[in-house]
Amino acid sequence: MTSQAVDIPDPRASKGAYRQHARNWIQANLPAHMRADSLDYRTPTLEECQQWEAAMYRAGLAGMTWPKVYGGHGLSLREHLAVNKEIGAVAMPESVSSVGKELVGPVVMAIGTEAQKLEFLPDILAMRKFWCQGFSEPDAGSDLARLRTKASKEGDHWRINGQKIWTSGAAKANYCLLLTRTGTVSDAHRGMLMFAVPMNTPGIRYVPIRSIDDKPSFTEVFFDDVIVPDSARLGAPDEGWNAAGRVLSIERATNRMYRAWRFECELTQLVRACKSDSVLTKLLSDGYYQRRIGDVLSEIDGLKGLVERTVDSMMAGEQIGARGSLTKLYWSECHQAFASLALEIVSHVTPASSPLAQRARRYFSTAYLFARAETIYAGTSEVQLDIIAQRILKLPKDL
Amino acid sequence: MNQDEVLRDAACIVISKAKDQSFRDAANLLAEAGLFGLCAQEADGGMALALSPATQILNAAGEQQLNFPLAEQVLLAKYVSGSSFAAALTSGHKIGTVAWQGDISSGWAGHAAHAKNCDWLLVRESSSEGTGAALIDMAGQQMHVDATLDPEQLQYWIDIKSPTILWRINPEQYAALLHEAHVLSAAFAHGAAEHAMNATVAHLSTRVQFGGPLTSKQALRHSLSRMKLLQEVSGAAIARVLANNEYGEQRAAAASLVGSLRNAAFVIEKAIHLHGGMGFTWATPLHYGLRNVRKLEAAFSAGTLSQDLGRRFIERS
Repeated sequence: MTSQAVDIPDPRASKGAYRQHARNWIQANLPAHMRADSLDYRTPTLEECQQWEAAMYRAGLAGMTWPKVYGGHGLSLREHLAVNKEIGAVAMPESVSSVGKELVGPVVMAIGTEAQKLEFLPDILAMRKFWCQGFSEPDAGSDLARLRTKASKEGDHWRINGQKIWTSGAAKANYCLLLTRTGTVSDAHRGMLMFAVPMNTPGIRYVPIRSIDDKPSFTEVFFDDVIVPDSARLGAPDEGWNAAGRVLSIERATNRMYRAWRFECELTQLVRACKSDSVLTKLLSDGYYQRRIGDVLSEIDGLKGLVERTVDSMMAGEQIGARGSLTKLYWSECHQAFASLALEIVSHVTPASSPLAQRARRYFSTAYLFARAETIYAGTSEVQLDIIAQRILKLPKDL
Repeated sequence: MNQDEVLRDAACIVISKAKDQSFRDAANLLAEAGLFGLCAQEADGGMALALSPATQILNAAGEQQLNFPLAEQVLLAKYVSGSSFAAALTSGHKIGTVAWQGDISSGWAGHAAHAKNCDWLLVRESSSEGTGAALIDMAGQQMHVDATLDPEQLQYWIDIKSPTILWRINPEQYAALLHEAHVLSAAFAHGAAEHAMNATVAHLSTRVQFGGPLTSKQALRHSLSRMKLLQEVSGAAIARVLANNEYGEQRAAAASLVGSLRNAAFVIEKAIHLHGGMGFTWATPLHYGLRNVRKLEAAFSAGTLSQDLGRRFIERS
């Protein structure tokens, strides 16, 4: 992959130019061993992912909407979507810095000081610093208003005590986007405060949690008398709940905007693997599977429509609001159902099957297991249904 | 409010008047409002509009449960352009429908909405050049009633014997007509489901049981949320198919139709369920929408469409 400066097109010059640039650059630079649909695939190291994403950034394929002063490319959500379509269309690894790029960045831009923006944002895009997200707690998962991690002001610094759970990427993170409270649990959503906490601060320790796919996907993070300066505070005291809400709205609506296109890419990967094997080819000639694949395609089509409509709304100046819940709920449930279909198909793979089919069996078995998390993280399906009922349908609970 | 929405609002007023009229009186009202000529050429008395406003109006027709082959009339008026028949359709002097099943050579046609009341019928016709269609005169064609799915708005099987062919549509035009029929039918089904959705929200929000409105019950709130989700998905898919892709190419409509019909059936079935006994009886008009959606599903062979989508994807992957 190139480390040279890349000639990034001006999207105003011609329609589709930016998307074409993204497509050409990714095809020319993504190493075969990082393509999940390739026989050359092997799990890339963190360093390889870091280099790949840094190169993508230099090529104009990350930080599209961020202001140039913070290292971004100063473009619109249209280019963000165009690039995401191309990212989704290729079986490349998931970002190892999506928390930083898609959650922390927007929050820092919204409530951070100018000094914080200049300190944090360029490093996120250039892949120099990783972040993790410290929101969920053992007693505050779906009900975030019950979180207990306490921040106490002591002179010009803060003392933090508490415990976070389901934290992805804590081991590699340089910072934690930490949600705390300054009062008591009875304050509910009042008195919440957000921090950018360096993960090497004394008093922080983490314990890996092994997940269903046998990977240490999450960690429990403990904060024992962690002292941070007031300059680590993001936003004003009491602004944490709104900031958290903003993060979650973004997470549901725009985070990994490529999902619908990656979903289609996975379906292509599955079909190509089947076509490389005579037994699985026969399976695909069955009208039952053809129809099920057709049904998946119509779901993908609807999902793409939801994403594009969200971008149109945001481009028209509307807030994301609760619309992100629609996208998150639909994607997670449809993708979970697809993962089950894929598992059903690859269960026909044997040692005599083609190498690509065997590769697909490994990929989709893992994908099926990991898909269990999709209806849990970023707000469970039930939380999304509650949000739709309350904020979109505005259903009364009383007369 | 954009131009399509303004047009939709105006059409809503006409449709609400037309829905309670006899078939021919409804036709006159709709024709006077110019709705038959939405996509027809100006030389034929039409407005030559793009598909988008027609989609909005078919959506409104579905929402208001209009019993009239509006999509068929709009498309016929457009696709028989260049003949004297187009002006007759645009003005409402003649009413046409389309048989989505059967063809001339097999001698039968079916799944033609309101065939009994129509003057003309478009029927598929195969030739060495591909599948086109022929517009035939309904006079003298024998029809067999099929009341199994809809005892009120009857369906018919039509014997095609020595038909008087008025006009022919070539395979390329027929493919374009079918594409637009998919879009308009998806919009109609989406509208039908919107009616059911709104009725159910209103009912559950005001019906008091166990000391509060039914919407205070989480299970029911979640059911309504799922209905809303699928409504949003269908609306977004229909909007998507109306817009060309990034390369200026037309998007295929089959996925949108398959999804919209599946989602609409879910929404209306759930609406009937959530209305309880009232939903199952004629106390609520939900059954009209369900019948219409299931008729469209059968007319366009939604299952086969989905299978074709899958098969073609497999072939090109």
